[in-house]
Amino acid sequence: MGNCDGVQHHIKLKHGDVGRYVLLPGDPARSERIAAYFDNKQFLGQNREYTSFSGTLYDEKVSVVSTGIGGPSTAIAVEELIAIGADTFIRVGTSGAMQPWIKTGDIAIVTAAIRDEGSSLHYMPIEFPAVADIDVVMALCKGARQINIPYYMGISHSKDSFYGEISPERMPVARRLQDNWKAWVAGGAICSEMETAAIFIICAIHGKRAGGVMLMASGNDDAPNNINEKKELDKIFDIDRAIRTAVEGLKILIKQDRGNQ
Amino acid sequence: MQMPEVMHHIQLKKGDIGRYVLLPGDPKRCELIARHFDHPIKMAQNREYTTYTGTLLGEKVTVTSTGIGCPSTAIAVEELTMIGADTFIRVGTSGGMQPDIQPGELGIITAAIRDEGTTLHYMPPEFPAVADIEVVLALREAARKLRKPHRLGICHTKDSFYGQHQPGRMPVADRLEQRWKAWKMGGAICSEMEAATIFVLSSIYRKRAGGIMLIAANQEAPGSGVHEDLTGLITTAIEAIKILIGQDNHAQK
Repeated sequence: MGNCDGVQHHIKLKHGDVGRYVLLPGDPARSERIAAYFDNKQFLGQNREYTSFSGTLYDEKVSVVSTGIGGPSTAIAVEELIAIGADTFIRVGTSGAMQPWIKTGDIAIVTAAIRDEGSSLHYMPIEFPAVADIDVVMALCKGARQINIPYYMGISHSKDSFYGEISPERMPVARRLQDNWKAWVAGGAICSEMETAAIFIICAIHGKRAGGVMLMASGNDDAPNNINEKKELDKIFDIDRAIRTAVEGLKILIKQDRGNQ
Repeated sequence: MQMPEVMHHIQLKKGDIGRYVLLPGDPKRCELIARHFDHPIKMAQNREYTTYTGTLLGEKVTVTSTGIGCPSTAIAVEELTMIGADTFIRVGTSGGMQPDIQPGELGIITAAIRDEGTTLHYMPPEFPAVADIEVVLALREAARKLRKPHRLGICHTKDSFYGQHQPGRMPVADRLEQRWKAWKMGGAICSEMEAATIFVLSSIYRKRAGGIMLIAANQEAPGSGVHEDLTGLITTAIEAIKILIGQDNHAQK
């Protein structure tokens, strides 16, 4: 569904604007940062929270489109991108760590997502698993290894309420939020973010591939005591680590897809 | 609660099993599977739980039947975990869910639809029932090596066999039919009755699990016939266990 000229309603892009491979950050400001890794970078447009660039990697057209925060705006982005030819998605973003041994700056490669959100229920009953494509997962792992970035593979928690996670105690449904959080941790979830489940479910329905790479912030770290410690922490909590992993993984996928053709 | 030496239902104790356990539903299939082990020994039989242990590449491996459905499967996985199992491969039969699947094809399960009641006693429904990626890749490598037609995908784990096969006669017919349609649109490849529980429990206990299913018939491809020969299924599962043993030995060095 687009306008009569084929321009998609929200992302304001049309067939030919994007490659089959699309990176999906949440923050519109990160689109350009990601596109800096493309050859022949080109700004495509910006509308609402959707900022888009295309470029090439190994002469293959690749794109980056921001999703905004949360499942609702992300579902729109993925729907419209599929409508204009995208078939492989990699979410790139930040998240909170969910296991005590994870440190700030560690990378999560997402294998599946907890559907603790509302958008994917407009598509699929809750029992259906939100799961990443195995080839995308393996390519991201290989990418991380190639550039020596330590990573964990595992399940991500996709939630609708940021502050429900950060300060559940002040919510009227505090007990439920806290009990569920405990269950997710017991199940081995490694990171908490807000968009992955919707991407995975919509891609399952359309037969497209998706994966995700998240930079993690740990709640267990000591707060920085001075400006130098703060600088040190900022250096570690650098989205660039997730971006480079995603770009490297994407290159591996492009090569594999060519080999399979 | 003091842990009894012999597990209540499976009637096995520490030392009776290997870390690698194959999980068929049907107790009769245990012997069929154990024939592919070196030195298989029948360890126990109680209720729907029949167990054989033997070796592959010199490593102890086990097959334990789960019975039909998640309630008895959860008990098997709990008790096997308590006595040292850490890698599970479900081996069974299933029905196809996509029109292009030919009976005889193998379904390698990546994740499961939690259309059952047991895992809700462990985890809220939002949590994904997902296979361990190393087990999935070992199964895929085994199927490729043995040249067995196969595909990777999501399976449907249900509590009611006849609710799937004859939904029309159930008081909740509309709900069953609509949900079946949703699972198909989501790309689910096959329907069976135990995988979701094996996956969710394995996530909680940090164990590895996967599953390989013979797609014996396909209601979405009328006239496609029935394929009931389990040989390809079993040899592929055995090959996958060997691949995992090789990898695990290598990782330890």
